[in-house]
Amino acid sequence: MDFKPEYTKEQEEFRKEVRAWVEENARYPEELGPIPLSSGDMSREMWLWGRDFQRKLGAKGWYYPTYPKEYGGGGLSGDKDIIIKEELRRVEHPVAYSMVSMAAPALLVYGTEEQKQRLLKPMLRGEMVAWQAFTEPGAGSDLASLQTRAVRDGDDFIITGEKCFIGGHHEPDVLWAPVMTDPDAPRHMNLGAFVIPANLPGISIRFQNLVIREGKRAVTFEGARVSREYLVGGETQGWRVIQSSLEIEHGGGGSVLPEDDPIVTGALEFCKKTLRNGVPLSSDPAIQKEMVDLYIEANVHRLIGMRNHWMHNNNVPGTYHGSQNSLVGKYTALRSAVKLLNALGPFALTVDPKWGALEGKVEDHQRHTLGSDHRGGTIDVQKVIIARRIGISRTRERAAPTRAQAG
Amino acid sequence: MDLSLTPGQQMLRDAARDFLTREYPRKVIREIDETESGFSPELWRQMVDMGWVGMILPEEYGGMGSSFTDLGVLYEEMGAACLSSPHHSSVVLGGLTILEAGNDKQKKKILPSIASGQRILAFALTEPDYGWGPGSVKLAATRKNGHFVLNGTKLFVPDVQVADQILVVARTSSRGSPETGITLFLVDKGTAGLSSRILEGWTGDKLSEVIFNNVEVPASAVVGRVGGGWAPLERVLEKASIAMCAYSVGGMQRLLDISVEYSQNRIAFGVPIGTFQRVQDHVIEIVNDLEAARWTTYEALWKLDERQSDAPLAISMASVIASEGFPHSAEAAHRVHAGIGIDKEYGLYLYTKKARSLQHYLGDPVHHRKQVGRLLGM
Ligand SMILES: Cc1cc2nc3c(=O)[nH]c(=O)nc-3n(C[C@H](O)[C@H](O)[C@H](O)COP(=O)(O)OP(=O)(O)OC[C@H]3O[C@@H](n4cnc5c(N)ncnc54)[C@H](O)[C@@H]3O)c2cc1C
Repeated sequence: MDFKPEYTKEQEEFRKEVRAWVEENARYPEELGPIPLSSGDMSREMWLWGRDFQRKLGAKGWYYPTYPKEYGGGGLSGDKDIIIKEELRRVEHPVAYSMVSMAAPALLVYGTEEQKQRLLKPMLRGEMVAWQAFTEPGAGSDLASLQTRAVRDGDDFIITGEKCFIGGHHEPDVLWAPVMTDPDAPRHMNLGAFVIPANLPGISIRFQNLVIREGKRAVTFEGARVSREYLVGGETQGWRVIQSSLEIEHGGGGSVLPEDDPIVTGALEFCKKTLRNGVPLSSDPAIQKEMVDLYIEANVHRLIGMRNHWMHNNNVPGTYHGSQNSLVGKYTALRSAVKLLNALGPFALTVDPKWGALEGKVEDHQRHTLGSDHRGGTIDVQKVIIARRIGISRTRERAAPTRAQAG
Repeated sequence: MDLSLTPGQQMLRDAARDFLTREYPRKVIREIDETESGFSPELWRQMVDMGWVGMILPEEYGGMGSSFTDLGVLYEEMGAACLSSPHHSSVVLGGLTILEAGNDKQKKKILPSIASGQRILAFALTEPDYGWGPGSVKLAATRKNGHFVLNGTKLFVPDVQVADQILVVARTSSRGSPETGITLFLVDKGTAGLSSRILEGWTGDKLSEVIFNNVEVPASAVVGRVGGGWAPLERVLEKASIAMCAYSVGGMQRLLDISVEYSQNRIAFGVPIGTFQRVQDHVIEIVNDLEAARWTTYEALWKLDERQSDAPLAISMASVIASEGFPHSAEAAHRVHAGIGIDKEYGLYLYTKKARSLQHYLGDPVHHRKQVGRLLGM
């Protein structure tokens, strides 16, 4: 066993190459203004800079490092993927470069060769931003009950309906959306999965005012006409197709989290530095317990994510693993908010430049984690999936195919 | 034994509930919350008209001499609506401190105008060296030519933005045990050298930093005895804590009501989500938190009204339960609601941020646990 990804000489060389490139290309231009607490507050200029940066990254094959080279990926090993992510993390960006598209894994499995060239390639090269448009006001956990309709009209489909909790910063190029193609067919056999150009007439996008700063949007389709070329997989195969997206979204691809999570490390430092009646906050046993557990839970989450990353990139088949990563992440997020509030008190609730803990990052975390419970499937839903895959539920199911099975 | 409310308390509860559900639904509460001051003069006037503001103060000072249980009944309804008002700062903390510690002249002059809502007090105890015990009070008050000069910072003080005066817990001496050097001052907000600003963020009420830079006040600004502020204050803090427990009980009741309603009406997989045992678990967590908080709070209110010697223990116990239970219930309610719960229009978040702020207000659960331990002789 070896938990260090950079163990060969060749990989050390690769790290040097990445670092030099990052130094040269990833420096955020200060004149665009200070990086906001949340990417949701990013200005248009910052976002445009970020998109430009994504394209540069994509051109190197480093936006989706482990995806096949012929479709714009890097064709690299999982270890090199980690090296890239670590090096990118060394510089601060307004845009999370990890905002990769969930459409890519499904396109890789189910797209035609022509679609891979036309849609997958620009996504992997960072040229096409896809927002995941799955959820509807009446269909969240029960995604299969969605009502947005696609009616065939010659070689096109006319799409009508509403999606919510979508996106994304500023605007997308395409929307990755399952919609109902056959209302008479049984559940799970009635959907088609589309990559819908976002600028089509009949599509409007509205900002949703949420507790989290990150912007989410409601998308309305009023008779938007989409060519058949944008249908991925068969006309009623959509449910199957989107499972490959959900598998990745539910954590199947794993994650490479830093050992020094900025919030955890920052909060530890805060408690060591902050004096209460002349003694550091961190010497109080009650505070110590909160902070130590915070540290431990973050590491458990990191390791579960690392496990999945390793499995995913070495074609090790998984069962409950994806949802477990997601579930542990959700628990960790929620509990960390509670612990930080317990330990830091009202300092955790203000963005005041003088008094807000970690320059207001903790306050942002307090809000942000209220969404973490639900995005990409709720805690309950992850548990349902885990139970099925362990084999203790009335329903049995297996993991959906992702890249590992695609190649 | 009779655990029911008196007819008068039932009337108070029903009137408050009717009024607040009619006039202050979540949408209106959110609008008030989003104003800069977080204060609605209209609401404050209505609270005065309904007799809520003076209620707890004695009749001779323009109040109604209500019991703490009465106050608890009202606070429960205010919590259910997630109301923000300076009631707690001005009347419970401010008014009761004047009543406990002030001299006759101060009581006669100040209390009637508090009871009538014309005068609003803020209450400033906590500082950057945060804590609710006497040891955390560092703001220095030094004598100078028969006056006092105040220097220091008060932090996370509610309602400063709407207050006329601030009741300041200051230190006049650092000799002896931490309690001995505490003195209370009533300071006009306009006094030279005093400045304040609201701290932006995710707080239930607007909280401010208040800086005292050579703020000179006359000796008549002292409330009670120089160096004798902590003992009366401690009694007031107990009462203020139990009022907030009742507020939290109301908040948790509403979180339960909202969550039950949503569980019954939201359909997933063809059935109401309340039929899923996992969703039931979230709702059950709320109902358990709620009832634990409710009955520890009621018993403490009763003990307080009956002047029982173990009332402080009961209050600290209720404070542990309520200050943990309210935010915990809010989190469970978020789990029931999933996506819609973080939509501002839906307004669940108002309870969440209120609960998270209240968790530390008047002492966090650790502080109250220590109190319980101390009162149990540990
Ligand atoms: C921050 C954030 C970002 C998001 N981003 C996106 C995005 O980019 N794209 C997108 O398409 N969607 C997005 N979503 C939507 C998200 O996927 C849904 O919120 C989520 O799937 C839950 O659906 P819902 O909100 O409709 O809740 P519901 O499905 O109505 O769930 C309500 C409650 O019922 C429970 N429940 C439902 N079914 C079951 C069951 N079978 N067993 C047990 N319990 C059950 C849930 O756990 C929850 O407690 C986002 C949501 C959030 C909060």
